[in-house]
Amino acid sequence: MRSNNTIIIGAGRLGGTIARSLNNLANVVIIDKNKDKFNKLQDYSGFVESGDATDLEFLEKNGIATADRVIAVTDDDNVNIFIADVCCSLYNVKDIYIKLKDSRKRSLVEERVNCICPFDLSLDSFEKQREGESK
Amino acid sequence: MKVVIADGLHEADYLIRLFKTGGNDLVVINEDPDTCHYLSLNNDMPVVRGRCTRESDLREANAENCDLFLALSEDDYKNYVACKTARMLLGAKRCIATVTNPKNVHIFKELGVDIVVCSTYLIGEQIRNLTSIENMINALSIEDEQIFIVELKITSDLDVEGKTLKDIDISSIGSVSSVIHNGKTMIPNGQTTICAGDKVLIVTTVDNKDKVIDIFQRKK
Repeated sequence: MRSNNTIIIGAGRLGGTIARSLNNLANVVIIDKNKDKFNKLQDYSGFVESGDATDLEFLEKNGIATADRVIAVTDDDNVNIFIADVCCSLYNVKDIYIKLKDSRKRSLVEERVNCICPFDLSLDSFEKQREGESK
Repeated sequence: MKVVIADGLHEADYLIRLFKTGGNDLVVINEDPDTCHYLSLNNDMPVVRGRCTRESDLREANAENCDLFLALSEDDYKNYVACKTARMLLGAKRCIATVTNPKNVHIFKELGVDIVVCSTYLIGEQIRNLTSIENMINALSIEDEQIFIVELKITSDLDVEGKTLKDIDISSIGSVSSVIHNGKTMIPNGQTTICAGDKVLIVTTVDNKDKVIDIFQRKK
């Protein structure tokens, strides 16, 4: 069994793409409430589980207690923050990544939680391109 | 007391009235414009439109440093994050979140929400209490239901626990005929202390049955 157990919560475009990229490097399980989302996961051969990731019993069944990395990329910032807190305080997961549409909510999670903020990334990208143009 | 009521419709309406009559400094914030209008009109007070999970909206509503923050939305996780924002960023002294999923009661508390309220959870607790009382009491009626022998289990939360029979004194309405302590049955006297885990056998009359049960089941 490969080490680096990874749980990805949210099988949207971002979650699906991360799942594909980690597929050969880790034991990956991707979770989503909506089964239909799994149909769009192409070139991914890891585990999929349909269910509510805010339910701790469900998370435990899917290995949260032994997970090395949890990536919460649902469309709901509040759910992602809750999952980060659960991972930090109740299961002591080492690597935690969450998506935050509202980057101002970053201050609500522990510093060790890695926040993926699409707004900030877009702004950074714009700034870099603008700098490139002005040179 | 400064109280912030975030989201909710009928719950918010009820609590606004409750806190208004107590002369509290009240801040009401709600995301839905129709609800803002309804609450404002009904209670003759300003209601701020804004998101209770957004620090800037809460600051604009003047929700800083409140004594009590109540998050009443139908979304458990919105309430969780609202409480977290109020506590961590705005200095709320005490936070209450309502939840629809009873499983979240313990989890939210473990994650730092002071009080978590769930109607389904409360119903469950009520039913459990009723069932546990039924389990604790075995009654036997004899002599055409004129005499009752009642067996009661003693738990640590009961008022009689740790008291002697002399202190409890039910002599005018019945008598404790035996006490089962650590599996051994003994005939008690006034100096016998009732301990958690004991079972007491009480003889009483039909008329006094409820009074006896009340004395032995009263909480501390």
